[in-house]
Amino acid sequence: MLKDIAVSNSPHISKPLSTRAVMVDVVIGLVPAMAAAGYYFRVRALILPAACVISSLAAEWLCNLIRKKPGSLGDFSAVVTGIILALSLPPALPVWTAVIGSAFSIAIGKMVFGGLGANIFNPAMVGRTFLTASFGMLMTTWMVPATIPAALSEICPENNVEARTQATPLAWSKQAIKDENGALIYNEQQFRATLTGEVGGCLGETSVIALLIGGLYLLLRRTINFHIPLAVLLSAFVFAAVFYLVDSDAYMQPFFHLSSGGMLLCAFFIATDPVTAPLTRRGMWLFGIGVGAITMLIRIVGGYPEGVMYSVLLMNAVTPLIDRLCRRIPAGGKPS
Amino acid sequence: MRFVTKGRFSFRGGVHPPEKKELTRDSEIQPGPAVKQVAIMLSQHIGAVCESLVNKGDSVKAGQKIGDSDAFVSAPVHSSVNGKVKQIALQSHAVLGRSMAVIIDAEGDDNPASQPSHTEFTDSFDIDSYSSAQICTAVRDAGIVGMGGAGFPTRVKIEPNPRMPKETLIIDACECEPYITCDYRIMLEWTKQIIAGTRLARKASGCSQVFIGIEDNKPNAIEMISRTLEDCGDGDRIKLAPVKTKYPQGGERQLIKAILRKNVPAGGIPPMIGVVVLNVATAAAIAEAVVSGTPLTHRVVTVTGEAISKPGNYYAAIGTTVEDLIEFCGGVTESCAKVVLGGPMMGIAIADLKTPITKTCGAITVLTKRQIGRAKYEGRQTPCIRCGRCLEICPENLNPTKIAHAVKHNLLDVALAYYINACMECGCCSYVCPANIEVTGYIKTGKIFLARQKKKMPE
Repeated sequence: MLKDIAVSNSPHISKPLSTRAVMVDVVIGLVPAMAAAGYYFRVRALILPAACVISSLAAEWLCNLIRKKPGSLGDFSAVVTGIILALSLPPALPVWTAVIGSAFSIAIGKMVFGGLGANIFNPAMVGRTFLTASFGMLMTTWMVPATIPAALSEICPENNVEARTQATPLAWSKQAIKDENGALIYNEQQFRATLTGEVGGCLGETSVIALLIGGLYLLLRRTINFHIPLAVLLSAFVFAAVFYLVDSDAYMQPFFHLSSGGMLLCAFFIATDPVTAPLTRRGMWLFGIGVGAITMLIRIVGGYPEGVMYSVLLMNAVTPLIDRLCRRIPAGGKPS
Repeated sequence: MRFVTKGRFSFRGGVHPPEKKELTRDSEIQPGPAVKQVAIMLSQHIGAVCESLVNKGDSVKAGQKIGDSDAFVSAPVHSSVNGKVKQIALQSHAVLGRSMAVIIDAEGDDNPASQPSHTEFTDSFDIDSYSSAQICTAVRDAGIVGMGGAGFPTRVKIEPNPRMPKETLIIDACECEPYITCDYRIMLEWTKQIIAGTRLARKASGCSQVFIGIEDNKPNAIEMISRTLEDCGDGDRIKLAPVKTKYPQGGERQLIKAILRKNVPAGGIPPMIGVVVLNVATAAAIAEAVVSGTPLTHRVVTVTGEAISKPGNYYAAIGTTVEDLIEFCGGVTESCAKVVLGGPMMGIAIADLKTPITKTCGAITVLTKRQIGRAKYEGRQTPCIRCGRCLEICPENLNPTKIAHAVKHNLLDVALAYYINACMECGCCSYVCPANIEVTGYIKTGKIFLARQKKKMPE
């Protein structure tokens, strides 16, 4: 009767929770953003994520085959990477580009380091950086949301009606900084458009409401901690507010910076990637502040209208240092 | 009369595993099996291993001292049955692997030992008739050790020490481990002994304040103890302190934090801040030892788990084998997958069912594959995704994953830099890990490596 009793270390029970469940939670958190994308960019919101996810899974499978490692598709992390990459791509991007990008994300961003848990940089952002460097033109061509009637598209200053493309709000703001007329460009109507998502931009970054719902879900499920999102948003807000207060004619309102571009997608879904973010709370604050500040630095001072992807990658690079800097002190104080 | 049963305080971190106390919570303490043979371990405590005082073929009586040591940190062991020494041999030991034990063939009466009666602790009990030194000697002679699991000799704990004066005595009545209910039953059935033992311990140690820390998931026990405190002479000098229900609330460091809002230094012990923590079962044993002169030869053991046919609480002779106890409870069901001495969070899985129970063994938990979880049973671990859950719940505020991975890659200096020695091995980190990594297991391994390094022990 007692032939095959097992012996192992304590504890002998564990919480019914798996890496896959964590990843599935993130996917659920991304659903509102995907739905918003589907509403504004129609069939593109289906094709791009599908292409990215399939390509990510294929790349991971292939890498495991080459490395002679057991399959790791079951943890769903490749699915998360694929979806996040797709949501941070311009809707009009050709499918083959997205396929290359997500394969690069997985192969170079994750698998060369040893797979899940070993990567230094956020795989999706590695893929996006690669695409930006390689296909600059395609990565900066923005579709007009399908819900905007063609006749109304003149609200966008650089609108080209025939190709149905437009600049993103951040691109106008860049121009505004140059022309020092930020106050003229930005108005309430546009702010409202960024809330619902009825503006040009990457597939999943346009709708503030959808992203907030998804982020809230992850927070409530305790899949992510509030530290990183709060730190990112606060530091970006403070940074933008300082510039705005110095010269409110030239610089955009801080809220504009929070609601446009990939700021919220980054705060809730990209910067919170546990593998590439610090472990300790103090470290999370430092990391989040860094991401927010560098993003704003790039947006306001740098050459790009958007800065999320580089700021995340830069902070990823210093994550091990942050972890070393922000060690936890035992509850009973340092042992003497 | 209404009592405060809600705990307000706790410590930071911790987990809430399913309690599973309902399996045995209502099972009264019953006499354990009358065994044919017992194996009394010569090491049932922290400290020096006892020397055997008997030889093969000697006749021994129940309660006779059969092992002792001259070392200060040690406790004698006693025979739990009348009988004849069969041999003194190596026996499976839950903690030490294998250790010397006196194996005694029981002779004569087949009746199991009956529980101590507790009438004598009410009327005839007079605290003033015992001096501090008398109490300490009686505790030492009875071989009492911490019965919550660690097994530190109680006399060493309660004896006044001029270098570390004691101010506060805390009776640990939390029983935070899932499944186990032996302390709960003791609280309900042997309340008077506990209070008497508490008063004796306070007198011996010279503590000025006394708390009984109890988790608020045991309202019946809280009420019972409150009533008994009211009845006894100096009950108002003993405060009942309900604390929040959370694992590992019964860890002494966590209990001190919850009741006194003080931290015990990392890697240190409670006397450093003037606190003594005793388990309720230990308190009851003190009362028996001092008042009736009974040595510690029996203890309450919870035999529980989904794979046990008739779970319950038994007053069993120390030295009874796990096999005897399990059979006494109707054996195990088909689905049995693991036999654990202690609870599922900190207990030790055993392979040899001939392992005898010791003074520190409060439970035998027999788990099914289902309770363990398939991934855990098969030992499937996935890579750490640095989700930080183990940091969040660590009661000692450590970085478990960092320490575990340092040990895994044999970087013991890194493990030390992240305070591996401050870990108390509560198991919370392994419990919450979504990747199923045996975080606690790695940390324990690391500590063994470090001990070897220090002692220059051969690998």
